[in-house]
Amino acid sequence: MIVASMILVISVALLLFYVQAACQKILARQFDEAYFQSIVDANRLEFPFVRKALEEFDTPVDYPWVCMTLQCDYLALTYLLKNAANAKQRYTREERLLILYFRALFFSLFALHLFKLSERPAILKLTQVLQHFADVVGQRVNQVRFGDLNASDYLLTL
Amino acid sequence: MVGGILSFFVQYAAYALEVGVVAVMVWRGQWKRHVGLFVYVALLVVIDALARPLFLYRYGLTSPQYFYVYWLTNTLLQLAAFLLICFFFRVACRAQKKLWETLKLALPATFLLVVGFTFLSIWRNYSQMRTREFLTSFEQYLYFTCLVLNTILFVMIQYVELDDEVMPMVICGLGLQFAGPAAGMALMVLAGASVQGVAFLIDQLCSLGMLLTWLYAVNRVPGTRAVVYKPEGVVAERAAA
Repeated sequence: MIVASMILVISVALLLFYVQAACQKILARQFDEAYFQSIVDANRLEFPFVRKALEEFDTPVDYPWVCMTLQCDYLALTYLLKNAANAKQRYTREERLLILYFRALFFSLFALHLFKLSERPAILKLTQVLQHFADVVGQRVNQVRFGDLNASDYLLTL
Repeated sequence: MVGGILSFFVQYAAYALEVGVVAVMVWRGQWKRHVGLFVYVALLVVIDALARPLFLYRYGLTSPQYFYVYWLTNTLLQLAAFLLICFFFRVACRAQKKLWETLKLALPATFLLVVGFTFLSIWRNYSQMRTREFLTSFEQYLYFTCLVLNTILFVMIQYVELDDEVMPMVICGLGLQFAGPAAGMALMVLAGASVQGVAFLIDQLCSLGMLLTWLYAVNRVPGTRAVVYKPEGVVAERAAA
């Protein structure tokens, strides 16, 4: 009984560990250039500022502002993933997995805040996911030519 | 009813993915570079997608023939996965001769121990194989052993320079394949037959997760060096594990 309980607990923990590891491997995907920057500029996304505030200035986490910022950027980027230069108008398997991962991390951020633990690692992972989404959108838009329109102009037409 | 329909769809999705992974590996020429993985997935196709459905069609779901074929081939696949992990250890240790000198004694010994334990357990309890207690306990230990070895391998590759970018994702997939069923079998040992449906669904979903991860690895992983964007836009590269 004790052995089975230990195996159950360890196996569940390792299952979640491997799911997270798989998501991190997908996020480690290399892009040719910083495609996300044009998407951030065109849509006035704020997740780079959140990351900068935590990494460079090491400011204390303003939980309500961070939550609202990341949530808004998430909604914008998931919309763009589905609609910007996407002929199939649906998410890929990797995007669905990363969307679930983002939601799980967001929930863990809430739990960390509730128990007054350090929220910094979770926030940085959330910004990593958002940057990946922005890179994917930017790469897709960059591959499509709309006459003289650049990525920012194209996105404004959506 | 709903569980049965879901299980049906998951099962056939898994068959399609198994064939898909083999097809993609052949199409992209990766079967030569990842021989161990290719052989394992090909074995999976032969056993899971061909042999088992044949026996199921011939003898029926509740027949003893199908039962023995299913669980014995399940054990065979677990031992094959164990060999695959040993193969990955070999690949990971190519540049670490000292580490390999130790592992090349430990891994075969562990494998023989696992094979010996498996053979003895089945041989001594063959008549009782159809009892839930023996089967769930046996499968639980076998999956957990493979899971622990896979995790040791995963931790090891975080500290080793790898040329192969596909391997870390494949090992993640293997981890999913072992962790879910190990948890499911442990749950059955604790809670009894009432959770059997849940345990089998977990098993199928984790197999599906493994195959999806492998399909991504062989199809989409071009280069996975972690790229760090500095605020000034200067890119710094850090080799990913």
